[in-house]
Amino acid sequence: MTHARSSRLLRALSAGTAAATLTVGLAACGSAASSSDAASVDNAATGAVTVAALANGAGTRTYIKVSEVASLHAELPASVAKGGQLVIGVGALPAGFPPLAFVGSDQQTLTGSEPDFGRLVAAVLGLKPVVQNSTWENLFVGIDSGRTDVGFSNITDTEERKKKYDFASYREDNLAFEVTRTSTWNFNGDWTTLAGKTVAVGAGTNQEKILLEWQAKLKAAGKQLTVKYFPDNNATHLALVGGKIDAYFGPNPGIAYQIAQDARTPNPTRNAGTYSGAGASLQGLIAATVKKGSGLARPIADAINYLIKNGQYAKWLAAWNLSNEAVPTSLVNPPGLPLTDS
Amino acid sequence: MSVLNAEARSATTHLAADADEPAPVAVEVHGVHKWYGAHRVLDGIDLTVAAGEVTVVLGPSGSGKSTLLRVINHLEQPTLGHVSLGGEPIGVRWHRGRLRELSERQILTQRGRIGFVFQNFNLFPHLTVLENVAAAPVATGLQRRTEAEQSARELLDRVGLGEKADAYPRQLSGGQQQRVAIARALAQRPGVILFDEPTSALDPELVGEVLAVIKDLAAGGTTLVIVTHEIGFAREVADRVVFMDGGRIVEQGTPAEVLDRPRHPRTQEFLSRVL
Amino acid sequence: MSDALAPAVPLDTASPSDTDPPPAHRNPPVTATAPASGSSQRVVPLRNPGRWITSAVALVLLAQIVHGLATNPFYQWDRFHYWFARPVITDGLVVTLEVTAYSAVLGLLGGVVLALARLSRSPVLRAISWVYIWLFRSVPLIVVLLFLYNFSALYRTLSLGVPFGPSFWHFDESKLATDMMIAVVGLSLNEAAYAAEVVRAGILSVDQGQHEAAAALGLPRRYQFARIVLPQALRAIVPSYVNQLIGLVKGTSLVFYVSLLDLFGSVQSMGSTYPGDIVPLLLVATVWYVILTSVISVVQFYVERHYSRGALRTLPPTPLQRLRAGLTTLIVRIRRETAT
Repeated sequence: MTHARSSRLLRALSAGTAAATLTVGLAACGSAASSSDAASVDNAATGAVTVAALANGAGTRTYIKVSEVASLHAELPASVAKGGQLVIGVGALPAGFPPLAFVGSDQQTLTGSEPDFGRLVAAVLGLKPVVQNSTWENLFVGIDSGRTDVGFSNITDTEERKKKYDFASYREDNLAFEVTRTSTWNFNGDWTTLAGKTVAVGAGTNQEKILLEWQAKLKAAGKQLTVKYFPDNNATHLALVGGKIDAYFGPNPGIAYQIAQDARTPNPTRNAGTYSGAGASLQGLIAATVKKGSGLARPIADAINYLIKNGQYAKWLAAWNLSNEAVPTSLVNPPGLPLTDS
Repeated sequence: MSVLNAEARSATTHLAADADEPAPVAVEVHGVHKWYGAHRVLDGIDLTVAAGEVTVVLGPSGSGKSTLLRVINHLEQPTLGHVSLGGEPIGVRWHRGRLRELSERQILTQRGRIGFVFQNFNLFPHLTVLENVAAAPVATGLQRRTEAEQSARELLDRVGLGEKADAYPRQLSGGQQQRVAIARALAQRPGVILFDEPTSALDPELVGEVLAVIKDLAAGGTTLVIVTHEIGFAREVADRVVFMDGGRIVEQGTPAEVLDRPRHPRTQEFLSRVL
Repeated sequence: MSDALAPAVPLDTASPSDTDPPPAHRNPPVTATAPASGSSQRVVPLRNPGRWITSAVALVLLAQIVHGLATNPFYQWDRFHYWFARPVITDGLVVTLEVTAYSAVLGLLGGVVLALARLSRSPVLRAISWVYIWLFRSVPLIVVLLFLYNFSALYRTLSLGVPFGPSFWHFDESKLATDMMIAVVGLSLNEAAYAAEVVRAGILSVDQGQHEAAAALGLPRRYQFARIVLPQALRAIVPSYVNQLIGLVKGTSLVFYVSLLDLFGSVQSMGSTYPGDIVPLLLVATVWYVILTSVISVVQFYVERHYSRGALRTLPPTPLQRLRAGLTTLIVRIRRETAT
């Protein structure tokens, strides 16, 4: 093959690639259905953020006054400060987890306490919030790749995750047992009453650790507790009303929301008792999650502490009925759930 | 030949008369060998078919008859040697004293001048009879569509199937299909037509109508090379009979010479079995 | 039953309405069961009470199931009604249709190209096509989508130019790649691999004689493929590809991995906001998928009928024609039965 001929071939090849790319580009005239922006009109100039909009009964729409704090803005890494926006990742696709992150009562807008808090933090830092909804997996890949600046998505601080991410804590869990209204079982903190029950729990969560500890203790006493896992809240809920499981052990806010929503259906549920997310050994903390070494964890923690000190934090929690999950202060990389069970 | 179909017989009269009948062409096979791997199918074939001559190729199965036909229109490329048509090599060209392969496009153009009729007809089942006949002249740019369809109707009349123009091949009997296949081959106005056992797939009572059409072509002066087992037919139409065995031409001559006074023992043995 | 066993009239006084049997028939004493005149009598169809009973039982069971579906409060049909045509559901439906349509077309085109490459005489093209099909049939669609979605993080710009040489034109990829486009590209890449095998099988199903006849006629190569081989191959391709297409309709439910909510994604999303409506929402999705599949099946029937021209001596009747024919025979039969 002569040189001239080979270069012609290469040109033809690259032209072919271009044609293929353009064809695909023409085909894609649809638009993104989700990853919508903030739940309400935010205007940095007005110095207010609306939270708990379109909450579908899970919260009370509230205006919270907040404005940029120059000293906190100054802490931001240069690249973020220059871009002027904070890309907030939420992993609520396809099914959300109300009231933390979900599609609101207009049936199209992403709302929830988590993206709301992200927007409060962005306002303090003087950045324009851009909320991105994706799958749980893509939330983390997005943080890894730099597509997303920070995840506000009910992410628990664990030692495993600390290998790749920095954390700024802002909330703690309270847990509850959800049962059908026809069930007579109640939980008053005594784990021995769980003997013989089948309970669903989210995999990899703080509450799972607690439940598994109880399971081990019951086993030692010769009794059985069956633990079941489901891919998402919808599947768990179906299993509960279908009688496949006796109870669901999960975050109290989510369970409170489900019970309120279920009340008018043929299969109502109720709360069988709550339990502190502190568990037996360690308090699990929910934390804003950034890429390790990005330099964002510190300014975000300081912004959260500013919100705590100036009362916006309490208003935000109150708007979403989450006041019992307040933390006194935000910490950078607090001790997380340990790597192993033992 | 007593089973001559009425419609086919009526078609015979105008076959020879056509004015724009293409000039018949001579076929020359020069030292052709063909191997499939280690298996030797053709073992040095030299054959000359004069323009307008009707040659019938006989031989036991596996003797290489069909392969020879397929080499002539270059469906198979010879391992050694070459074929030429009216002096022009098929599938190859002379370049600085050597034979070089032609491009597929050039080969396809050359094939347009060689008609081929298959044992299993191989009509295009999704096209009507008329479309089957008119497709090639249109696709190769020989004729415009209306022109080609007009000629196709005439050809179908000639083979006695004018009324079947809009039928699909599967709605026809085997004999009718083979007559359509002959019309299809004629549509390209070939200088030579090759027949590969054209009646072997037919019920006995349908053989006659096809042979009648071929006989008329023979009378019309087209160069024909026919591989067949119909000895009686060979005697009737052939100018020359070629007997093949083991990939070689064992003996050739007039029908009287080869069929009535075979000299080679293999020919004698073959004829004693089939007659 | 009884009709068939006992002739209505005694043999030796054969019914006067019948054409008179030839006397030769009557002279030798005929056995009691032999018919008087076999020439043009209509055969009385065999009665089949067992079949009637099983049919009745099946119908009762079916009615029970339908009744259960309609009356069980578990299904919350009022909520089904509320959700069925909500904008959020129809938006998701549109996404499903768009993604399916683009991917089906691009996937088939890609499949044809890959199949031709696989059947080509160039060993390089054959190998590339084989590797592509092998790869994309092995990699889970989720991974393909995940990779594409984060592609922009791996390659910031796409550029046009001489491969490995200077480039003339740059794209900022994150602007070029909408979620819809990523979804379509991902599904098409995957679909093409499967379509390639369907198309290849279709091409191989065309008789070798057809290729030879086309070649012997000197038809140009492109014409051979487009007018002779492909139309015949489509007869084998259409049913398999439609099957593939129905899989694709449901396969689109994975597009939430690229932050796009299709029909099923919308249902899941609404299910989390309205946990009391999960069951009716799932039923809404089911009914929509049933509708889509039905439409595709109807289209398939007519496309297949189109491509069976020439392959069958007579075309199969359309469902309407069949229904009409079935009703006619039923009426005729009922009339005949009531007349006797």
